[in-house]
Amino acid sequence: MIRGLNRVLDRLEEWLIASFMAVSTLVIFLSILHRESLRFDFLWEYTSRIHFSWAQELCIYLFIWMAKFGAAYGVRTGIHLGVDVLVAHSGPKMQRALIVTALSLGAFFTGVIAVIGTRWVWFIYGTGQVSPDLEWPMWVVYLCVPLGSALMCYRFLQVLTGYLRTGDLPVHEIGVREAA
Amino acid sequence: MTALLILGILLVLLLTGTPISIALGMTVLTFLVLFASFSMATVDVLSQRLFTGLESFAIMAVPFFILAGVFLTEGGIATRIIRFAQALVGSLPGGLAMATVLACAFFATISGSSPATVVAIGSIMLPAMLKNGYPKRFAVGLISTSGSLGILIPPSIVLIIYAVSTSESAGRMFLAGMVPGAMLAGLLMLITYVTARTKKFPTMPRASVREIWTAFREAFWGLLLVVIVLGGIYGGFFTPTEAAAVSAVYAFVCAVWIYGGLKLRQVPKVLISAANTSAMLLYIITNAILFSFLLTSEQIPQSLAEWVVSRDLSPWMFLLFLNIALLIAGQFMEPTGIILILAPLVLPIALALGIDPVHLGIVMTINLEIGMISPPVGLNLFVASHMARMGMTQVAIAAAPWAVALIVFLLLITYVPQISLWLPNLVYG
Repeated sequence: MIRGLNRVLDRLEEWLIASFMAVSTLVIFLSILHRESLRFDFLWEYTSRIHFSWAQELCIYLFIWMAKFGAAYGVRTGIHLGVDVLVAHSGPKMQRALIVTALSLGAFFTGVIAVIGTRWVWFIYGTGQVSPDLEWPMWVVYLCVPLGSALMCYRFLQVLTGYLRTGDLPVHEIGVREAA
Repeated sequence: MTALLILGILLVLLLTGTPISIALGMTVLTFLVLFASFSMATVDVLSQRLFTGLESFAIMAVPFFILAGVFLTEGGIATRIIRFAQALVGSLPGGLAMATVLACAFFATISGSSPATVVAIGSIMLPAMLKNGYPKRFAVGLISTSGSLGILIPPSIVLIIYAVSTSESAGRMFLAGMVPGAMLAGLLMLITYVTARTKKFPTMPRASVREIWTAFREAFWGLLLVVIVLGGIYGGFFTPTEAAAVSAVYAFVCAVWIYGGLKLRQVPKVLISAANTSAMLLYIITNAILFSFLLTSEQIPQSLAEWVVSRDLSPWMFLLFLNIALLIAGQFMEPTGIILILAPLVLPIALALGIDPVHLGIVMTINLEIGMISPPVGLNLFVASHMARMGMTQVAIAAAPWAVALIVFLLLITYVPQISLWLPNLVYG
């Protein structure tokens, strides 16, 4: 049951961040094409009726959502790097203690953020704010903070229990990280 | 005092191996709960910053350039660039090695990252050099060092992040990286040339003009990206972020249709891997914004600047200290993290001492390049050791002479600001 749920969650996470990435790239690209097309009279007639003023806002929101969910995905793939000098040079007992501390800190911090994020979303909901260009309700846009952080907290706990049970940590494979 | 406390908390958290992003955020939480007058108002400001911190179109150049970078690395573009570089300089002493440096410089003009450059060029050139009898140590050192051109030659993710965290223009930073980047490429080629003459490294047959032309035509579509990105930005067609988005789309077209190195069904994998890396960086940025909010609200950058000025520290002394501090920090942390933590701290000092922020950014970037080829956590070394199947220590030894050359170059760039500032001042006035 839980395993099935996890698998759905995994796929959903991957699917979401990939589409956020693709859509925001396309939107910005189209908005540039659109703006450049206005320079030409014969295109202007058709394209000036379309408005892309919301493109930047959408791109920013999509990327922020991608960042929040992608950060949770990153816990699962072990991409969040820390300074591992001490960890690498300490004995097995100390090493275990440090790794457990680091993972617990991660879970704790993201948990706290999820809570204060929820509080903030609740507050924004009360104000009835909408976004400047798209006129979307801001509390929906801000939802990515508590949702993403809660998911991240869950991932840290998952990695932590996995480590306690098997002693394995997700290691980010070479070949993907170099892209940074 | 407060500054030491905050940095102390951060240091302890970092030493446990906690991810840099989490350590930054936890420092803010810990400090606010334990040492500051904690109030719900601060919590509100923090929760707002968690979202609005990223709400800037300028930052979004980072994920776009990362996406473009993954397409370029996976898409068979590097092969063409290497062939072109070989046709140009292959017949010189140490031809393959010379071509490696040149190919890294070319690849750096379309990619914004150092480790990506090491992988893209190194995965082809390292086996080639070993097969042709180059000493392994020389080849590995050369690749990890030339790869670091990726963050100095525009476009560069590190320069964008510096621009964002100091409110400098990314366009100006890119221009400032050009001359030092070309000089560094020249310096590396010179060192290679001299080594090749003394050690009698093999040369390759001279390519005819026709061969050079064919190689150029093959590489043309990849190299056109430089023109699109830089021409687009400086021709006033688009902002750096838009240029990044265009280069992502263009790199996709190159990888999938023009060079065919990537199948359409592999694209989702590329998207996920780019999203993974971008999200990691954006998450560090979010928390670094919280951290610098804490620093500013405790007025630490200002008091630090006042302290330095009251000590009558001359600019060159300050730059020397900065270089030493950055070289040490670069041993332990990734460039982005360092820029995000340190740039807001040292910028007010630099301004007070009359150092140009653009120049400061280039100095910091070259420092971080050195960090990338120094143990224990140099990212380029890490990638190179994986490619060459050599231990980290061996790779670090291989890179050491190159690091010395980079340090000399760093001193030159540090104390001759005109090298970095000439081009941006010429264009922007």
